[in-house]
Amino acid sequence: MSAPVFAALREGDELPPLELQPNLGQVIRYCALNWNFPPFFYDPEAAKAVGMPGTIVPGPLKVGLIYRAVEAWLGDAGFIRQVRAAHRRPDLTNRPITIAGRVARVYEEDGEQRADLEMAIMNQDGQPSVRGFAVVQFR
Amino acid sequence: MPEESLLTDDVRALIGSAVPLSTVQVTRRAYQRALDVYLGEHDQGPAEGEDVPGYVIEALNSETDPPPIPALMPQSILISNEWQFERPLRMGETLEKTHRIVDISERFGGRFGYSINVRTEVALSEPGSGVVVARNVHTMTQYNAADARDGGES
Repeated sequence: MSAPVFAALREGDELPPLELQPNLGQVIRYCALNWNFPPFFYDPEAAKAVGMPGTIVPGPLKVGLIYRAVEAWLGDAGFIRQVRAAHRRPDLTNRPITIAGRVARVYEEDGEQRADLEMAIMNQDGQPSVRGFAVVQFR
Repeated sequence: MPEESLLTDDVRALIGSAVPLSTVQVTRRAYQRALDVYLGEHDQGPAEGEDVPGYVIEALNSETDPPPIPALMPQSILISNEWQFERPLRMGETLEKTHRIVDISERFGGRFGYSINVRTEVALSEPGSGVVVARNVHTMTQYNAADARDGGES
């Protein structure tokens, strides 16, 4: 995949969808990264006790997965200034998700070339579990 | 729903309060752990002084514990989070961490019923100059499960 070029970027351009399936091992490694272990992230019974059908993917892990999708598209063409995730629905572990994105705005600000991206994580039922946003700055 | 606002003067006084946490370093180990979590990959990483991916910011969390946030409602859930970078983090650099309560607000209605949003950030800044390099922002909603309704967008 070739990196995007600012001059050729257009509003509405779509990022290649990124299909992932976060699993329990990845969630546990995320908990270890933060040294924070809420039981409902790794224990199915604890998850059920708080009303979840199973263990879920932590929100801060999902913002990083959006970052990953943007990074895969942007390559060395720039850096990611901002990524935001508004959490709408839980994503269960071991379920497929698709990270989608499109260019919402192309502009120059503070002498820099930037683009705003509308991002989303879609669950296997086609529902958005996360509404996201990102800002990239081109080199 | 409470009979009166839970945002007392004492609670409002917390808005803007900042607590310095410690200094942290962007180490090779932090980079490798973050890479493992987010990409499932392993490598030696960039050279000292070179840019590292933004998700390394999460690997800097475990070095310090944020101050406790007052629990005004029985339940709490993360509704949004955000990473902001003024420039990429760099391998080997040392940064100062500061925790701040950005905002506390209340909401009437929506999927949580009466709820309180607490927005906090951990800023990473250059020692000496104090120039902020990055922010890790979280918004938690405190609510009462008895007043919440399932599903739907807020």
